[in-house]
Amino acid sequence: MCQTCGCSLNADVAREGMEEQLGRSVVIDVLQDLLAANDRVALHNREHFDEHGVLAINLMSSPGAGKTALLEATIVALGERYRIAVIEGDLETENDALRIRALGVPALQITTGTACHLDAQLVHRALHDLPLSGLDLLFIENVGNLVCPASFDLGQHRNVTLLSVTEGDDKPAKYPVMFRACDLVVLSKIDLLGVLDDFDPERAAAALRALGRDTPMIQTAARRVPAIAAWLNWLEQQMIERRSVVPAVPTRMAATAGA
Amino acid sequence: MDSGAGAVEHITIEAGPLTGVEPDLLARAFEVLRASSHATAHASLSIESPAVIIRCTHCRKESPTAPNRLVCPLCGDFRTRVMAGDELRLRRVALRIP
Repeated sequence: MCQTCGCSLNADVAREGMEEQLGRSVVIDVLQDLLAANDRVALHNREHFDEHGVLAINLMSSPGAGKTALLEATIVALGERYRIAVIEGDLETENDALRIRALGVPALQITTGTACHLDAQLVHRALHDLPLSGLDLLFIENVGNLVCPASFDLGQHRNVTLLSVTEGDDKPAKYPVMFRACDLVVLSKIDLLGVLDDFDPERAAAALRALGRDTPMIQTAARRVPAIAAWLNWLEQQMIERRSVVPAVPTRMAATAGA
Repeated sequence: MDSGAGAVEHITIEAGPLTGVEPDLLARAFEVLRASSHATAHASLSIESPAVIIRCTHCRKESPTAPNRLVCPLCGDFRTRVMAGDELRLRRVALRIP
């Protein structure tokens, strides 16, 4: 076997270690979750959200699937009725936060440098600069990536994954960890379906079902003539469900619902 | 170190296919990271990757399956539970007693 890269090293060293050092070493069973530190902070974030009666949504997708565009259309549609804030995750630039702020909604940009995902600690730090009082909805727009963001709990209440029709309809089969982690799949840019002959929403739905989940899949178009009614319905449904779990605090949402 | 041990000899990690962790890449990252501390400078790493096993809540049978095929292969029901293949944990550590 190859000796230069060390790929054969681990097993051999392990065996020798066990046999030769037996009298002088101790083996400890640990069984600790490697993400335990992240999950603890995530739990703390979630408590923080619940304390303020905020529904936190983690938005994930590949780069360019339309996360920010969907948020812009959402703010235009719901901004009068609910108080919304956004945490933006990108490797560089404030561009997405600027787009959100242009609509009069507070947006906090996390630039991750080279990191390809947000983790609970990054969100926690952002929360120090983002007052949650009076908020109804917090969107956390994760770094565009269908791999790593799926593994890190941020403290959100719901995970949403966008799949734009300009991507392949087999994405759920290619990225099972991501599509298993989400509570909703949004097929975005559905208005482009007419000019694309290789994306079949039925095939995407079948690939999603093959992951052993009955995750709902809805369709949106966020640019030009926005068609996001199904998305807005889903969001309002989640807010109602959260309120039934967490005692309501007096906010606009509670006032409109007459709660 | 709490146990009074001098150095880490070996670390065993479990990383199932449903965690999104690539064992080969983790092993390469470990080569870099272990140099960051005297205690781990000579440590070796083995990564166990348990196969994906699901249990069907309808027919109640367990089956091994692929990470992107989590419906029951026996009765076709999608209501399955992942029994193995999604674990990401530090399994055990071997420490040298000085």
